[in-house]
Amino acid sequence: MGNIMVNGMMNEGLSLEIIYSFVIILASLMIYYGTKELYELSGHKGIKYFRQAFLYFALAYFFRSSIKFALRYFNVMAVFDIDPRSINSIIGQTTLFLYIYLSTMAIFYLLLSVKYKQWKNESVMFLQTLAVIVGIISVIYNNPLSHLVINLGLLVVVVGVVILSKSGKKNNLQIIYILLLLFWVLNVLDVMIPGFFRTFQLIIYLASSGIFMTMLYRVLRNTGGK
Amino acid sequence: MAKRGKLEIIKDLLIIVNDSHGRIKTTPLLRQTNLSTTRFKEYYQELINKGLIKEKNNDGKVVMITDKGIKFLEKYSTIVNFIKEFDL
Repeated sequence: MGNIMVNGMMNEGLSLEIIYSFVIILASLMIYYGTKELYELSGHKGIKYFRQAFLYFALAYFFRSSIKFALRYFNVMAVFDIDPRSINSIIGQTTLFLYIYLSTMAIFYLLLSVKYKQWKNESVMFLQTLAVIVGIISVIYNNPLSHLVINLGLLVVVVGVVILSKSGKKNNLQIIYILLLLFWVLNVLDVMIPGFFRTFQLIIYLASSGIFMTMLYRVLRNTGGK
Repeated sequence: MAKRGKLEIIKDLLIIVNDSHGRIKTTPLLRQTNLSTTRFKEYYQELINKGLIKEKNNDGKVVMITDKGIKFLEKYSTIVNFIKEFDL
């Protein structure tokens, strides 16, 4: 009886992960492909970075779900708990690195899409390097506090740039971007720190999906897709 | 008069070509764009590279608008609105 209940909860959790990943990946890819024509016609840098952000989000959430499935499959709480002598540990850490790198880069591309006029061309290279460093640190240090500090630090810096860069006329969009950043950090911490928001997981997933769906709606409304 | 943005200049160039029955010689095109020769050459080359116009040599250099160029004109307001909406 107890086993059946545990299996039921496991399946429920797995279904939630599948639906959540599916919604985010689908919304991100629809934004990416929905803006393809506008970019191909205009060659506009802002549109380019905006599209890349959502391509990277789609890839990041794919690797995020891979990590979640692997944790369930190996019945461990974190990637670091996988037997370090096994090949699965290397696969797990590589997937973790890719997830952190891609999700950090997604946020940086979103930032670039609104700041590229003020920033130099070398900014892309600098942000790529920074994202690689964040990815490496995430794989090397098995310390929840360091992940918390790094991600909250990144959140503060990026939100600060978003707030300072806006004229105030687009408050609506500013709020969406800030929420996107906030839920990005929560999603990262969910993977890096086991059981970080177990009780609120469903709420976080719903809110996170809602933000991506709002972005998709706005993109479709402005590309003639709706 | 406000300074024209890059996309607006491209649109204006394409409208001139399109309104000339889809083809025009480079000299009258330069005259009608209100651009300096240097800037005109930059935009002209960019339009060629993007496949929005193409050259046809008969008795002088003739420029033709491509299907992609016509598509750009159709989608111009959508592109501009999208850029404004997301502050890009």
